[in-house]
Amino acid sequence: MTRHRASAQLIAVDGVDAAAVAAAAKEALRAVTRGGISRWDASGVFQDLAVADGDAGAPSARTLLLLYAADLAFRLRWQIRPALAEGRTVVAAPYLFTAMAFGRAAGLPSSWVMNLFRFAPRPGAAIVVHESRDGRRGSKDGFVGFACDRIAGGDEERFRRKLLDATAARLRQFHVPRR
Amino acid sequence: MAGSIASLRRRARKHFTDPAGRRGLLVAFEGPDGSGKTTQRKLFKTWLKSEGYDVVTTKWNSSELIKPIIKSRKSVRALSPEEFSLLHGADFRHRVEQVILPALWAGKLVIADRFLFTALARDVARGLDLDWVLKVYQPLLWPDMVFYFSVSPVTSGKRVTATRTPNFYEAGQDVTDVDDPVESYQRFITRVIREYESLALIFNFITVDAERSIGEQHRQIRALFVKGRERPWSDWNADAVADWLAVNGRR
Repeated sequence: MTRHRASAQLIAVDGVDAAAVAAAAKEALRAVTRGGISRWDASGVFQDLAVADGDAGAPSARTLLLLYAADLAFRLRWQIRPALAEGRTVVAAPYLFTAMAFGRAAGLPSSWVMNLFRFAPRPGAAIVVHESRDGRRGSKDGFVGFACDRIAGGDEERFRRKLLDATAARLRQFHVPRR
Repeated sequence: MAGSIASLRRRARKHFTDPAGRRGLLVAFEGPDGSGKTTQRKLFKTWLKSEGYDVVTTKWNSSELIKPIIKSRKSVRALSPEEFSLLHGADFRHRVEQVILPALWAGKLVIADRFLFTALARDVARGLDLDWVLKVYQPLLWPDMVFYFSVSPVTSGKRVTATRTPNFYEAGQDVTDVDDPVESYQRFITRVIREYESLALIFNFITVDAERSIGEQHRQIRALFVKGRERPWSDWNADAVADWLAVNGRR
Protein backbone atom coordinates (compact mmCIF):
# COMPACT_ATOMS: atom_id res chain seq x y z
CA MET A 1 0.00 0.00 0.00
CA THR A 2 1.28 3.46 -0.92
CA ARG A 3 0.19 6.00 1.64
CA HIS A 4 0.51 9.76 1.54
CA ARG A 5 -1.49 11.46 4.27
CA ALA A 6 -2.18 15.10 4.80
CA SER A 7 -4.53 17.04 7.02
CA ALA A 8 -6.87 17.90 4.15
CA GLN A 9 -10.38 16.57 4.50
CA LEU A 10 -10.83 14.88 1.14
CA ILE A 11 -8.99 11.58 1.22
CA ALA A 12 -8.87 9.50 -1.94
CA VAL A 13 -8.53 5.73 -1.67
CA ASP A 14 -7.88 4.02 -4.98
CA GLY A 15 -7.10 0.50 -6.10
CA VAL A 16 -8.15 -2.31 -8.38
CA ASP A 17 -9.49 -4.63 -5.71
CA ALA A 18 -12.83 -3.36 -4.38
CA ALA A 19 -12.65 -5.27 -1.10
CA ALA A 20 -9.16 -3.99 -0.35
CA VAL A 21 -10.22 -0.42 -1.20
CA ALA A 22 -13.24 -0.70 1.10
CA ALA A 23 -11.06 -1.99 3.96
CA ALA A 24 -8.51 0.79 3.44
CA ALA A 25 -11.31 3.39 3.39
CA LYS A 26 -12.66 2.14 6.72
CA GLU A 27 -9.20 2.24 8.21
CA ALA A 28 -8.66 5.79 6.95
CA LEU A 29 -11.96 6.83 8.46
CA ARG A 30 -11.02 5.48 11.87
CA ALA A 31 -8.34 8.14 12.14
CA VAL A 32 -10.79 11.04 11.84
CA THR A 33 -13.43 12.28 14.26
CA ARG A 34 -16.16 13.41 11.86
CA GLY A 35 -16.45 11.93 8.43
CA GLY A 36 -17.87 9.39 6.05
CA ILE A 37 -17.14 7.33 2.98
CA SER A 38 -18.27 8.21 -0.56
CA ARG A 39 -18.46 5.01 -2.57
CA TRP A 40 -18.50 4.15 -6.25
CA ASP A 41 -21.90 4.13 -7.97
CA ALA A 42 -23.72 6.24 -5.41
CA SER A 43 -25.85 7.48 -8.31
CA GLY A 44 -26.83 3.94 -9.35
CA VAL A 45 -25.70 4.46 -12.96
CA PHE A 46 -23.72 1.22 -13.03
CA GLN A 47 -26.45 -0.67 -11.24
CA ASP A 48 -28.78 0.39 -14.05
CA LEU A 49 -26.16 -0.53 -16.63
CA ALA A 50 -25.81 -4.01 -15.12
CA VAL A 51 -29.45 -4.78 -15.84
CA ALA A 52 -29.59 -2.98 -19.20
CA ASP A 53 -30.49 -4.70 -22.45
CA GLY A 54 -27.57 -6.93 -23.39
CA ASP A 55 -28.41 -6.66 -27.07
CA ALA A 56 -27.68 -2.94 -27.05
CA GLY A 57 -23.97 -3.61 -27.51
CA ALA A 58 -21.19 -3.58 -24.94
CA PRO A 59 -19.94 -0.19 -23.76
CA SER A 60 -16.35 0.69 -24.56
CA ALA A 61 -13.79 1.84 -22.01
CA ARG A 62 -14.46 5.41 -23.10
CA THR A 63 -18.19 5.08 -22.54
CA LEU A 64 -17.60 3.48 -19.14
CA LEU A 65 -15.30 6.32 -18.09
CA LEU A 66 -17.90 8.89 -19.14
CA LEU A 67 -20.35 7.09 -16.88
CA TYR A 68 -17.79 6.95 -14.07
CA ALA A 69 -17.31 10.70 -14.41
CA ALA A 70 -21.09 11.26 -14.31
CA ASP A 71 -21.27 9.18 -11.14
CA LEU A 72 -18.37 11.12 -9.64
CA ALA A 73 -20.10 14.41 -10.45
CA PHE A 74 -23.13 13.08 -8.57
CA ARG A 75 -20.97 12.07 -5.58
CA LEU A 76 -19.29 15.47 -5.52
CA ARG A 77 -22.63 17.25 -5.58
CA TRP A 78 -24.51 15.20 -3.03
CA GLN A 79 -21.86 13.66 -0.79
CA ILE A 80 -18.37 15.10 -1.03
CA ARG A 81 -18.83 18.86 -1.37
CA PRO A 82 -21.68 19.16 1.19
CA ALA A 83 -19.68 17.18 3.76
CA LEU A 84 -16.55 19.24 3.17
CA ALA A 85 -18.61 22.41 3.50
CA GLU A 86 -19.71 21.19 6.94
CA GLY A 87 -16.08 20.69 7.91
CA ARG A 88 -16.23 16.90 7.77
CA THR A 89 -13.72 14.54 6.26
CA VAL A 90 -14.71 12.52 3.23
CA VAL A 91 -12.99 9.34 2.19
CA ALA A 92 -13.68 8.90 -1.52
CA ALA A 93 -13.22 5.23 -2.32
CA PRO A 94 -12.49 5.05 -5.18
CA TYR A 95 -11.74 8.52 -6.52
CA LEU A 96 -9.75 9.57 -9.58
CA PHE A 97 -6.71 7.32 -9.81
CA THR A 98 -8.67 4.09 -10.21
CA ALA A 99 -10.58 5.41 -13.21
CA MET A 100 -7.54 7.10 -14.72
CA ALA A 101 -5.48 3.92 -14.42
CA PHE A 102 -8.24 1.90 -16.03
CA GLY A 103 -8.55 4.37 -18.89
CA ARG A 104 -4.83 4.40 -19.56
CA ALA A 105 -4.67 0.59 -19.34
CA ALA A 106 -7.47 0.40 -21.90
CA GLY A 107 -5.43 2.52 -24.28
CA LEU A 108 -7.18 5.87 -23.91
CA PRO A 109 -5.03 8.98 -24.34
CA SER A 110 -3.81 10.57 -21.14
CA SER A 111 -4.95 14.03 -22.33
CA TRP A 112 -8.54 12.81 -22.77
CA VAL A 113 -8.63 11.11 -19.38
CA MET A 114 -7.13 14.14 -17.60
CA ASN A 115 -9.59 16.53 -19.24
CA LEU A 116 -12.55 14.33 -18.38
CA PHE A 117 -11.91 14.66 -14.65
CA ARG A 118 -10.99 18.32 -14.74
CA PHE A 119 -14.13 19.19 -12.75
CA ALA A 120 -13.03 17.12 -9.76
CA PRO A 121 -10.96 18.73 -6.98
CA ARG A 122 -7.62 17.24 -6.14
CA PRO A 123 -7.67 15.26 -2.93
CA GLY A 124 -5.73 16.53 0.03
CA ALA A 125 -4.47 13.04 0.73
CA ALA A 126 -4.32 9.87 -1.30
CA ILE A 127 -3.99 6.19 -0.52
CA VAL A 128 -3.37 3.73 -3.32
CA VAL A 129 -4.03 0.11 -2.41
CA HIS A 130 -1.87 -2.28 -4.38
CA GLU A 131 -2.64 -5.48 -2.49
CA SER A 132 -5.51 -7.78 -3.29
CA ARG A 133 -7.55 -8.57 -0.16
CA ASP A 134 -8.79 -11.99 -1.12
CA GLY A 135 -6.47 -12.96 -3.93
CA ARG A 136 -9.13 -12.33 -6.58
CA ARG A 137 -7.98 -8.96 -7.80
CA GLY A 138 -10.75 -6.92 -9.30
CA SER A 139 -13.81 -8.12 -7.47
CA LYS A 140 -16.93 -7.52 -9.55
CA ASP A 141 -18.18 -5.23 -6.79
CA GLY A 142 -15.74 -2.54 -7.89
CA PHE A 143 -15.50 -0.29 -10.92
CA VAL A 144 -12.46 -1.94 -12.48
CA GLY A 145 -13.83 -5.48 -12.17
CA PHE A 146 -17.20 -4.37 -13.48
CA ALA A 147 -15.67 -2.46 -16.39
CA CYS A 148 -13.30 -5.28 -17.36
CA ASP A 149 -16.20 -7.71 -17.34
CA ARG A 150 -18.26 -5.45 -19.57
CA ILE A 151 -15.52 -4.87 -22.09
CA ALA A 152 -14.46 -8.49 -22.17
CA GLY A 153 -18.06 -9.51 -22.72
CA GLY A 154 -17.94 -11.96 -19.82
CA ASP A 155 -16.32 -14.81 -21.72
CA GLU A 156 -12.80 -13.65 -22.41
CA GLU A 157 -11.03 -14.39 -19.15
CA ARG A 158 -7.58 -13.92 -20.60
CA PHE A 159 -8.39 -10.43 -21.88
CA ARG A 160 -10.13 -9.52 -18.62
CA ARG A 161 -7.11 -10.61 -16.59
CA LYS A 162 -4.76 -8.71 -18.88
CA LEU A 163 -6.74 -5.49 -18.49
CA LEU A 164 -6.93 -5.91 -14.72
CA ASP A 165 -3.18 -6.43 -14.50
CA ALA A 166 -2.52 -3.47 -16.79
CA THR A 167 -4.74 -1.26 -14.60
CA ALA A 168 -2.87 -2.39 -11.48
CA ALA A 169 0.43 -1.65 -13.20
CA ARG A 170 -0.77 1.82 -14.20
CA LEU A 171 -1.80 2.54 -10.62
CA ARG A 172 1.74 1.84 -9.50
CA GLN A 173 3.03 4.46 -11.91
CA PHE A 174 0.86 7.32 -10.67
CA HIS A 175 2.46 10.02 -8.68
CA VAL A 176 0.03 10.49 -5.84
CA PRO A 177 -0.04 13.95 -4.28
CA ARG A 178 2.16 14.56 -1.29
CA ARG A 179 1.68 17.30 1.15
CA MET B 1 -4.84 -6.58 -29.81
CA ALA B 2 -5.76 -4.32 -32.66
CA GLY B 3 -2.45 -2.95 -33.87
CA SER B 4 -0.96 0.49 -33.48
CA ILE B 5 -3.07 3.62 -33.79
CA ALA B 6 -0.94 4.74 -36.75
CA SER B 7 -1.70 1.54 -38.66
CA LEU B 8 -5.38 1.82 -37.79
CA ARG B 9 -5.41 5.39 -39.11
CA ARG B 10 -3.91 4.14 -42.36
CA ARG B 11 -6.54 1.43 -42.55
CA ALA B 12 -9.29 4.00 -42.00
CA ARG B 13 -7.89 6.30 -44.67
CA LYS B 14 -7.57 3.47 -47.18
CA HIS B 15 -11.10 2.28 -46.54
CA PHE B 16 -12.78 5.67 -46.81
CA THR B 17 -10.85 6.86 -49.83
CA ASP B 18 -11.18 3.66 -51.85
CA PRO B 19 -12.51 4.81 -55.24
CA ALA B 20 -13.94 1.36 -55.95
CA GLY B 21 -16.77 1.60 -53.41
CA ARG B 22 -19.43 4.12 -52.40
CA ARG B 23 -18.11 5.60 -49.21
CA GLY B 24 -20.28 6.20 -46.18
CA LEU B 25 -21.58 9.71 -45.68
CA LEU B 26 -22.57 11.40 -42.44
CA VAL B 27 -25.10 14.22 -42.63
CA ALA B 28 -26.10 16.04 -39.45
CA PHE B 29 -29.25 18.08 -38.90
CA GLU B 30 -28.78 20.66 -36.17
CA GLY B 31 -30.86 23.46 -34.75
CA PRO B 32 -33.02 24.47 -31.82
CA ASP B 33 -36.29 22.77 -30.92
CA GLY B 34 -39.09 23.87 -33.19
CA SER B 35 -36.82 24.51 -36.15
CA GLY B 36 -38.37 21.72 -38.22
CA LYS B 37 -35.36 19.38 -38.31
CA THR B 38 -37.38 16.22 -37.88
CA THR B 39 -39.79 17.07 -40.70
CA GLN B 40 -36.89 17.83 -43.02
CA ARG B 41 -34.99 14.74 -41.93
CA LYS B 42 -37.94 12.52 -42.86
CA LEU B 43 -38.39 14.18 -46.25
CA PHE B 44 -34.67 13.97 -46.92
CA LYS B 45 -34.53 10.30 -45.97
CA THR B 46 -37.41 9.43 -48.29
CA TRP B 47 -35.72 11.25 -51.15
CA LEU B 48 -32.32 9.63 -50.47
CA LYS B 49 -33.91 6.18 -50.53
CA SER B 50 -35.49 6.98 -53.88
CA GLU B 51 -31.99 7.88 -55.07
CA GLY B 52 -30.73 4.44 -54.08
CA TYR B 53 -28.97 5.30 -50.81
CA ASP B 54 -28.93 2.85 -47.93
CA VAL B 55 -29.93 5.24 -45.12
CA VAL B 56 -29.52 4.88 -41.37
CA THR B 57 -31.02 7.43 -38.98
CA THR B 58 -29.72 8.14 -35.50
CA LYS B 59 -31.46 10.46 -33.10
CA TRP B 60 -30.12 12.35 -30.13
CA ASN B 61 -30.19 10.49 -26.81
CA SER B 62 -31.26 7.20 -28.36
CA SER B 63 -28.64 4.65 -27.31
CA GLU B 64 -30.53 1.57 -26.16
CA LEU B 65 -27.96 1.15 -23.40
CA ILE B 66 -27.74 4.69 -22.03
CA LYS B 67 -31.11 6.26 -22.85
CA PRO B 68 -33.00 4.49 -20.02
CA ILE B 69 -30.38 5.73 -17.55
CA ILE B 70 -30.81 9.33 -18.68
CA LYS B 71 -34.58 9.11 -18.88
CA SER B 72 -35.00 7.92 -15.30
CA ARG B 73 -32.77 10.72 -13.98
CA LYS B 74 -34.47 13.37 -16.05
CA SER B 75 -37.85 12.28 -14.75
CA VAL B 76 -36.82 13.08 -11.17
CA ARG B 77 -34.95 16.22 -12.23
CA ALA B 78 -31.78 14.89 -10.65
CA LEU B 79 -29.10 16.01 -13.10
CA SER B 80 -26.55 18.77 -12.66
CA PRO B 81 -25.13 20.36 -15.84
CA GLU B 82 -22.00 18.17 -15.57
CA GLU B 83 -24.01 14.97 -15.11
CA PHE B 84 -26.35 15.97 -17.93
CA SER B 85 -23.38 16.58 -20.21
CA LEU B 86 -21.46 13.42 -19.29
CA LEU B 87 -24.45 11.10 -19.62
CA HIS B 88 -25.31 12.53 -23.03
CA GLY B 89 -21.64 12.17 -23.95
CA ALA B 90 -21.85 8.47 -23.00
CA ASP B 91 -25.01 8.05 -25.06
CA PHE B 92 -23.34 9.73 -28.03
CA ARG B 93 -20.16 7.64 -27.77
CA HIS B 94 -22.14 4.42 -27.57
CA ARG B 95 -24.09 5.36 -30.72
CA VAL B 96 -20.92 6.38 -32.55
CA GLU B 97 -19.40 2.98 -31.80
CA GLN B 98 -22.50 0.83 -32.23
CA VAL B 99 -24.52 2.59 -34.93
CA ILE B 100 -22.80 5.42 -36.77
CA LEU B 101 -19.32 4.10 -37.53
CA PRO B 102 -20.45 0.56 -38.40
CA ALA B 103 -22.92 2.07 -40.89
CA LEU B 104 -20.35 4.44 -42.38
CA TRP B 105 -17.83 1.61 -42.66
CA ALA B 106 -20.45 -0.39 -44.57
CA GLY B 107 -20.88 2.48 -47.04
CA LYS B 108 -24.26 3.65 -45.76
CA LEU B 109 -25.53 7.19 -45.44
CA VAL B 110 -26.14 8.21 -41.85
CA ILE B 111 -28.52 11.05 -41.01
CA ALA B 112 -27.98 12.30 -37.48
CA ASP B 113 -30.98 14.16 -36.08
CA ARG B 114 -28.82 16.29 -33.79
CA PHE B 115 -25.11 15.63 -33.40
CA LEU B 116 -22.35 16.73 -31.06
CA PHE B 117 -23.08 20.40 -31.74
CA THR B 118 -26.33 19.96 -29.80
CA ALA B 119 -24.25 19.05 -26.77
CA LEU B 120 -21.89 21.95 -27.32
CA ALA B 121 -24.71 24.50 -27.65
CA ARG B 122 -26.78 23.20 -24.75
CA ASP B 123 -23.93 22.48 -22.35
CA VAL B 124 -22.31 25.86 -22.90
CA ALA B 125 -25.74 27.50 -22.49
CA ARG B 126 -25.85 25.66 -19.15
CA GLY B 127 -22.61 27.35 -18.15
CA LEU B 128 -20.07 24.65 -18.93
CA ASP B 129 -16.72 25.40 -20.55
CA LEU B 130 -16.72 24.86 -24.33
CA ASP B 131 -13.17 23.53 -24.33
CA TRP B 132 -14.00 20.90 -21.69
CA VAL B 133 -17.15 19.74 -23.49
CA LEU B 134 -15.42 19.57 -26.87
CA LYS B 135 -12.65 17.42 -25.41
CA VAL B 136 -15.16 15.13 -23.68
CA TYR B 137 -16.46 14.31 -27.19
CA GLN B 138 -13.01 13.44 -28.56
CA PRO B 139 -12.03 11.74 -30.74
CA LEU B 140 -14.22 14.01 -32.83
CA LEU B 141 -16.18 12.62 -35.73
CA TRP B 142 -16.90 15.40 -38.22
CA PRO B 143 -19.98 15.06 -40.43
CA ASP B 144 -19.58 15.46 -44.18
CA MET B 145 -22.31 18.07 -44.01
CA VAL B 146 -24.05 19.89 -41.19
CA PHE B 147 -27.40 21.48 -42.03
CA TYR B 148 -28.20 24.11 -39.44
CA PHE B 149 -31.87 25.03 -39.24
CA SER B 150 -31.89 28.64 -38.22
CA VAL B 151 -34.88 30.17 -36.45
CA SER B 152 -35.24 33.05 -34.04
CA PRO B 153 -35.83 32.37 -30.34
CA VAL B 154 -39.32 33.78 -30.74
CA THR B 155 -40.21 31.39 -33.58
CA SER B 156 -38.74 28.43 -31.68
CA GLY B 157 -40.76 29.38 -28.60
CA LYS B 158 -43.98 29.84 -30.56
CA ARG B 159 -43.66 26.52 -32.40
CA VAL B 160 -42.72 24.49 -29.33
CA THR B 161 -45.34 25.93 -27.02
CA ALA B 162 -48.13 25.84 -29.62
CA THR B 163 -48.87 22.19 -28.86
CA ARG B 164 -47.20 21.37 -25.54
CA THR B 165 -45.38 22.64 -22.49
CA PRO B 166 -41.60 22.24 -22.69
CA ASN B 167 -40.22 19.74 -20.22
CA PHE B 168 -37.93 20.69 -17.34
CA TYR B 169 -34.56 20.23 -19.07
CA GLU B 170 -35.79 21.32 -22.49
CA ALA B 171 -36.87 24.57 -20.85
CA GLY B 172 -33.52 24.84 -19.08
CA GLN B 173 -35.27 25.18 -15.73
CA ASP B 174 -32.28 23.48 -14.08
CA VAL B 175 -30.23 26.60 -14.80
CA THR B 176 -32.66 29.49 -15.26
CA ASP B 177 -34.40 29.20 -11.85
CA VAL B 178 -37.61 30.29 -13.58
CA ASP B 179 -40.73 28.44 -12.43
CA ASP B 180 -42.76 29.01 -15.59
CA PRO B 181 -41.54 26.50 -18.22
CA VAL B 182 -42.59 28.70 -21.14
CA GLU B 183 -40.75 31.75 -19.83
CA SER B 184 -37.76 29.60 -18.90
CA TYR B 185 -37.72 28.04 -22.36
CA GLN B 186 -37.64 31.47 -23.98
CA ARG B 187 -34.64 32.52 -21.89
CA PHE B 188 -32.80 29.24 -22.32
CA ILE B 189 -33.36 28.87 -26.06
CA THR B 190 -32.05 32.39 -26.57
CA ARG B 191 -28.76 31.27 -25.01
CA VAL B 192 -28.74 28.01 -26.97
CA ILE B 193 -29.32 29.79 -30.29
CA ARG B 194 -26.54 32.25 -29.50
CA GLU B 195 -24.17 29.30 -29.02
CA TYR B 196 -25.45 27.62 -32.19
CA GLU B 197 -24.87 30.78 -34.23
CA SER B 198 -21.25 30.89 -33.00
CA LEU B 199 -20.74 27.21 -33.79
CA ALA B 200 -22.25 27.70 -37.25
CA LEU B 201 -19.53 30.24 -38.01
CA ILE B 202 -16.66 28.29 -36.44
CA PHE B 203 -17.54 24.94 -38.00
CA ASN B 204 -18.89 26.18 -41.31
CA PHE B 205 -22.42 24.80 -41.08
CA ILE B 206 -24.75 24.99 -44.07
CA THR B 207 -27.44 27.33 -42.80
CA VAL B 208 -31.03 26.67 -43.81
CA ASP B 209 -33.51 29.45 -43.21
CA ALA B 210 -36.06 27.45 -41.23
CA GLU B 211 -38.57 30.30 -41.28
CA ARG B 212 -39.21 29.49 -44.98
CA SER B 213 -41.77 26.96 -46.23
CA ILE B 214 -41.18 23.22 -45.78
CA GLY B 215 -41.00 22.69 -49.56
CA GLU B 216 -38.47 25.46 -50.11
CA GLN B 217 -36.23 24.13 -47.35
CA HIS B 218 -36.40 20.60 -48.72
CA ARG B 219 -35.44 21.68 -52.23
CA GLN B 220 -32.55 23.71 -50.82
CA ILE B 221 -31.29 20.72 -48.81
CA ARG B 222 -31.42 18.43 -51.85
CA ALA B 223 -29.48 20.90 -53.99
CA LEU B 224 -26.86 21.51 -51.31
CA PHE B 225 -26.48 17.78 -50.69
CA VAL B 226 -25.94 17.05 -54.39
CA LYS B 227 -23.31 19.77 -54.49
CA GLY B 228 -21.56 18.62 -51.34
CA ARG B 229 -21.64 14.82 -51.57
CA GLU B 230 -18.56 14.61 -53.74
CA ARG B 231 -16.37 16.23 -51.12
CA PRO B 232 -13.37 14.09 -50.22
CA TRP B 233 -13.28 12.20 -46.94
CA SER B 234 -12.07 14.38 -44.10
CA ASP B 235 -8.78 13.16 -42.70
CA TRP B 236 -9.77 14.76 -39.39
CA ASN B 237 -11.89 11.63 -38.89
CA ALA B 238 -8.94 9.24 -38.97
CA ASP B 239 -8.55 9.34 -35.18
CA ALA B 240 -12.23 8.61 -34.52
CA VAL B 241 -12.26 5.68 -36.93
CA ALA B 242 -8.95 4.32 -35.61
CA ASP B 243 -10.30 4.52 -32.05
CA TRP B 244 -13.36 2.52 -33.09
CA LEU B 245 -11.27 -0.06 -34.94
CA ALA B 246 -9.14 -0.47 -31.83
CA VAL B 247 -12.23 -1.04 -29.69
CA ASN B 248 -13.53 -3.61 -32.16
CA GLY B 249 -10.17 -5.29 -32.45
CA ARG B 250 -10.10 -5.92 -28.72
CA ARG B 251 -13.35 -7.82 -28.78
